[in-house]
Amino acid sequence: MIVDPLPVAWRFDAIGTSWRVDTRHPLPPAVADAVTARVERFDRDWSRFRDDSLVAEIARTPGRYRLPADAPPLLDHYRELFDATAGRVSPLVGRALAALGYDAAYRLRPAAHIPAVPAWDDAIAWDGEYLEVVRPVVLDIGAAGKGYLVDLVSDLLTDADIPEHIVDGSGDLRTRGVPMRIALEHPLDPAKAVGIAELSDGAFCASATTRRAWGDGLHHVLDAATGMPTRGVIATWVLAPTALLADGLATALFLDPDPEFVARSATAFARMRVDGSLEVSPGFPGEVFA
Amino acid sequence: MTSTPAPRLVAVGFAGLGLTAALAGCATTASGAQGDAGVNPDADTSAEYADGTYTAQGDYVSPAGPSKITVEITLTDDLVTDVVVTPLATEGNSVQFQGQFADGIATVVTGKDIDTLAVSRVGGSSLTSGGFADAVEKIKAEALVS
Repeated sequence: MIVDPLPVAWRFDAIGTSWRVDTRHPLPPAVADAVTARVERFDRDWSRFRDDSLVAEIARTPGRYRLPADAPPLLDHYRELFDATAGRVSPLVGRALAALGYDAAYRLRPAAHIPAVPAWDDAIAWDGEYLEVVRPVVLDIGAAGKGYLVDLVSDLLTDADIPEHIVDGSGDLRTRGVPMRIALEHPLDPAKAVGIAELSDGAFCASATTRRAWGDGLHHVLDAATGMPTRGVIATWVLAPTALLADGLATALFLDPDPEFVARSATAFARMRVDGSLEVSPGFPGEVFA
Repeated sequence: MTSTPAPRLVAVGFAGLGLTAALAGCATTASGAQGDAGVNPDADTSAEYADGTYTAQGDYVSPAGPSKITVEITLTDDLVTDVVVTPLATEGNSVQFQGQFADGIATVVTGKDIDTLAVSRVGGSSLTSGGFADAVEKIKAEALVS
């Protein structure tokens, strides 16, 4: 049984998935409009699925680009993920993902040739304001971008004097002051849960390779070191102070991240391997159905 | 069974991809890789290979230092039927992780019906958007026709 902790839910579709914002009172129209505009701006800047985005412009023309004001936390976290996974999480997987079939048209058929993922320092340089692109690259912020947008929307609500809320970008969730019990959905059976996570302030992100999959071994989490979809781990769940961190770590946990980095960034985590075994970090808040 | 062609067709598509991408990956990132790492996608593909499992090891240098991976490819009738890429952590991340998870729980779970749980939300991976789900259905339909 699912019991909503707050009485009002506002649902909308954005950046290719369903969103939901829960509050105690209906959002003032001006705040709802601001949320919609914020999400649209993020999509116009960062989406590799639309021709008019900044990412699409960068993909067409290498050069020096001043990135939007929201870029530093995202790219700085990406660099941390890149370093903590020995380069296996990278924002430069866009071209390889598209070639594998995960492109704007949802072609979902792998091309004959899958391009190698460029090494970060060979292709781009980021100084905190400008991105220098020396080789054609297709940025893909799929590893942490949606979580970051959840944070940005949550910050917007907080600034609008709505301190108590839940922002749920479908798999990436941030709660502020609202106690929640979140079922850990079984990656192979959406009617089942493998456990329950509890949190009242912070972020919860889940990732699974069984959902956005389009063929045997083809899914959306790419190992930048091999250019191939990851193997071994099929689902991850992460609790962290922000959805940016939780989302990025949920991706990194498919790729054996540095445990010190994980311990520093995440509050707790769990992951399921392809054999059905579940690994849970010490002190996981909630329960696991072992 | 009408449903069998779809997964098989997709698997064949993956097979071609696996051979190209896995070997190209070795060719571009490995120094001192063993095995047949020089294959390129435009090469003559008429050669026949013996069925079996082939393993190659590759070295690459990341910002965190030198790393190794093994790539294991299973060939059946000249098609790659499985690719397993394993990072070799003799030190650092994976080994430490084993110890870290040993404090937690590692067991096979079957789960409980969500209907029977009192929760405030279900947390899974991103719900697939309409466009993605439609595209997957289209591929399945085309696979059945052909």
